Amino acid sequence: MPVDRKTLIGKVLRTARYRVSVEDVQDFVSVMPKSSEATEEAPEVAPPTFAPLVAVLGLLRTFDWSTDFQFDYRDGTAMFGEQFIDFHRPLYVDEEVEINAMINDVYEKSGRQKFDVVQLAFEIKGDRDGQLVMTGKQSYILFK
Amino acid sequence: MTIAPNKPYFEDLTVGMALPTVKYGPMDRFDYIPIALILRDTNPLHLDRVYAQERGLPDTVQQGPLNQAYLYEFFTNWLHKPWDLASTEIRFAANVFPEDILHCGGEIEGLEIGEEYDIVHCRLWQKNDEGVNILTGKASGRLPKPPK
Repeated sequence: MPVDRKTLIGKVLRTARYRVSVEDVQDFVSVMPKSSEATEEAPEVAPPTFAPLVAVLGLLRTFDWSTDFQFDYRDGTAMFGEQFIDFHRPLYVDEEVEINAMINDVYEKSGRQKFDVVQLAFEIKGDRDGQLVMTGKQSYILFK
Repeated sequence: MTIAPNKPYFEDLTVGMALPTVKYGPMDRFDYIPIALILRDTNPLHLDRVYAQERGLPDTVQQGPLNQAYLYEFFTNWLHKPWDLASTEIRFAANVFPEDILHCGGEIEGLEIGEEYDIVHCRLWQKNDEGVNILTGKASGRLPKPPK
């Protein structure tokens, strides 16, 4: 029976947390072509190049593919869709960020295959000052 | 097409100018290990060449956020300070594989004058050596006021 994911619109997902650890930032900087200017100037500031990883891994902790998206990851294919981010302030090393998200849109599209686009609206706050670090939207493409 | 200078001020830019293109790579499969650890995502598609080839792919797939990080590196290096980054809109169009070269570029689409700082809006792209779009999208950055 086909899944109707439009009923998921408005669903608030669970709050997730992630600590921007020194180790994760150092591992990341070691992969990038040169040490980030942000890190050189102020070692307590994570480079903005690290921000998409925080958004991606933070959001993945806010939902369960099966219970929240009605998607079986074992025999289905999922991909990242579009991502929109507004940056409100720098991300600091060793701060813990809190990620809150909700499903704000679901729609079906057809290419070679039919797929659903599930779009999350999210906000990420840092515990350094309780202020917003990033807000945005992230889509996931779930093939049928 | 005129090339925009690096670390520009509002006065240096006009709509339609190209951002100076930057080339990164070749991509290294061993970089996927720390990224997998940071993302806590050990999907074998990113780490196991045989697993990826059994699924019809030429090699392991570089993680999307790493592709994105290179495009951010390109854009934020062009700005005065990395955290002058204001917003991004990114669409994931194709996969990156080990040994790929990533070419990043863009074009200025809009300029806004502000009180504290000015804003530049750009269209961005990341392509591989074959010219295939990996990422497409937009980014906006803050431009400091020039020193008086």
